[in-house]
Amino acid sequence: MKHCLIAVLIFTLFTANPLLAEEARDFFKVGVITSLSGDLATGGNVTKRGYDLWANTLNAQGGIQIKDKKYTVKLFYADAQSEPSQGASAAERLATQEKVDFVLGPYSSGVTLAVAPVLEKYKIPMITGSAESPLIWKQKFFYTFGTVPPVNYTGATPIQTLAKMNPAPKTAVILGSNDAFSKATAEAFKDAAEKLGIKVLKFNIVPSGQDLTPFMSAVKVLQPDLVAFGGHDEELINLVKSLRQINYTPKALLMHYGVTEPAFIESLGKDAEQVFGASVWTTSVHAKSDMLWPDAAAYGKAAEEAFKVPADYTQAGSSTAGLAFQAALQKIEAVPPLSEANREALIKALEELEIQTFYGKLKFAKEGEYYHANVGITPLTIQIQNGKVVIVGPEKDAEAAAQYPLKPWGQR
Amino acid sequence: MLLLLPQAIVDGFLIGGIYVTIAIGFSLAYGVMHIIDFAVGEWIMLGAFLGFYLNIWTQWDPFFLLPFVFIVFAVIGFVFQPVIHRVLSGKKGNPLLMGLVFTFGLGLMFRGLGLTVFGFYSHSIPSALSANSFFLESGNFFVTIPVIRFAGLVYALSITIMLHYLLKKSDFGLAVRALSQNRDAAGLMGVNAKRTSSYVYGIYVGISAMSGVLIGCIFSISAQMGGDYTVFSFFVVVLAGMGYLSGVPWAAFLLGFVQSFFLIYFNPSYTLLAVFAILYVVLLVSPKGMFAKGV
Repeated sequence: MKHCLIAVLIFTLFTANPLLAEEARDFFKVGVITSLSGDLATGGNVTKRGYDLWANTLNAQGGIQIKDKKYTVKLFYADAQSEPSQGASAAERLATQEKVDFVLGPYSSGVTLAVAPVLEKYKIPMITGSAESPLIWKQKFFYTFGTVPPVNYTGATPIQTLAKMNPAPKTAVILGSNDAFSKATAEAFKDAAEKLGIKVLKFNIVPSGQDLTPFMSAVKVLQPDLVAFGGHDEELINLVKSLRQINYTPKALLMHYGVTEPAFIESLGKDAEQVFGASVWTTSVHAKSDMLWPDAAAYGKAAEEAFKVPADYTQAGSSTAGLAFQAALQKIEAVPPLSEANREALIKALEELEIQTFYGKLKFAKEGEYYHANVGITPLTIQIQNGKVVIVGPEKDAEAAAQYPLKPWGQR
Repeated sequence: MLLLLPQAIVDGFLIGGIYVTIAIGFSLAYGVMHIIDFAVGEWIMLGAFLGFYLNIWTQWDPFFLLPFVFIVFAVIGFVFQPVIHRVLSGKKGNPLLMGLVFTFGLGLMFRGLGLTVFGFYSHSIPSALSANSFFLESGNFFVTIPVIRFAGLVYALSITIMLHYLLKKSDFGLAVRALSQNRDAAGLMGVNAKRTSSYVYGIYVGISAMSGVLIGCIFSISAQMGGDYTVFSFFVVVLAGMGYLSGVPWAAFLLGFVQSFFLIYFNPSYTLLAVFAILYVVLLVSPKGMFAKGV
């Protein structure tokens, strides 16, 4: 009787384990953790568009071809509410209740840093389509990958472009909002500026959402040639408005994520003109692929048809995260549901992956400071010209010459 | 760095002006109805979006749209107040707590609705006043005053003066003051508590909505914007003394100065820490606010 009870107990334990009690199915369960509400809802919803577009396009073609059968993908969304703690809870739920095969990762580095350890615990692979803080890759999470390169890989490019202007900016004020991505952006700008001999007059991390007008009044006195800001969409718009209101036009204004968002141009109109930004993708990059979309322009067209707004690099990076899983699954020929051994094989396949996509070359670093981040693509300097995002650097990728210095606000 | 002193003072006033606009209605509603309305930020957001769409449709400068936004939201507030009254006058539980939870939920609901209806992108309300600034110079000293922020300060002071006049010089104001002091006695003197509270709530919602339009001209607007403004209105009102209307401008300007001086003279990273520290110290010394006249 005692042995019988122990046997029942062991059986119950095994069958109660959420990762072992898996049903046979003809679709992959894909968990999606992103910020659909809260302060980061804009970026979060842009990533959602990217994931949705990948899943819908793939499913319309029948799904992922594995051996002689096609398997569709089904997305299971969890709202991180722009809070790392909510993101971690969402990861826990997707792992234990939804029993997802793999995860398309959060928007924002802060949420990714909270989600990654949870997925390490459950051994579930994740590719984030939008998290750029170098801190993520320094942690060396085995199960976490990212399609957008870290900001210390991309952030130097626009400063290098600006350093080639005539006359080149000699002084800079650099600031970043107080979150993982924005701080890393500001630090990347600072490092690059100092290496190129641009004197950094002020470097500050400011509270998120802070009204910076008094700060910019103090900056105006210093008259720096370059003002560079690491922040998110709404903060960037507010900074431009602050500079406009105090009537101070530096020679160059550089920002990172958010400049390529349609809302930046729509909200600021003429004041958005000539603002520089860092990006890794636009619809005009030269990239050819045989997976879902033949090139960047085709992806841009599909995105615009689906959502009625132009796609930016976050949305493209998110769709690419789906493509990476798709290619790796085909390589290992794993069918749903994925066992722990399948998931481990998937990680190995992702590490070996080197594919051409509409987003450019996708290749995850296997070691070093960029561990599991995408290092296949070339960082770009972009500038808003005539209401459009235009590549102005590096020279080999430039579509147009950079407009420099910034035209004074009052003369637009 | 002394050169920046006039700028720091002016910026303190200008930031304070924005805080006055978002907190004065909140304080009025608390004084009369004893409700801490955690949906204040969402009223601001909804008003901002009405201003944004009206500006697109009419192409009028947002400042000319303020009266219309006020009327629309005053009517909404007036109609909506009985619902809140019902929550606050329940026999079971703690009415103050119920009001808090109710308005918090209301705020969440408005935010979700905002995301669904207005989308997740940020917007800006263009105004002719946003493009210009005054530049004053005297010797080595100089000050830049953005016209739009100066207009915001004028708006804040006008609202304060109008409310002061309404409360101190009119029969309606007498009824409102009587209600805030003793609801039962006011009722016995013939004050219609329900109707007067509805008017007050309408005025508060209308002012908050107008402030949203102003904020949309100075900063940007989004469906998520409400949370920050709720927190700052609460700060200002607590600092002024809950329900003490005359203290609101002083508390708002104090917070404005703290932020302005920290951003210009100290480390901007600690701006919010300084704001919290001031609030903490004031409440420690005087739990009823700066003037010890709060409820």
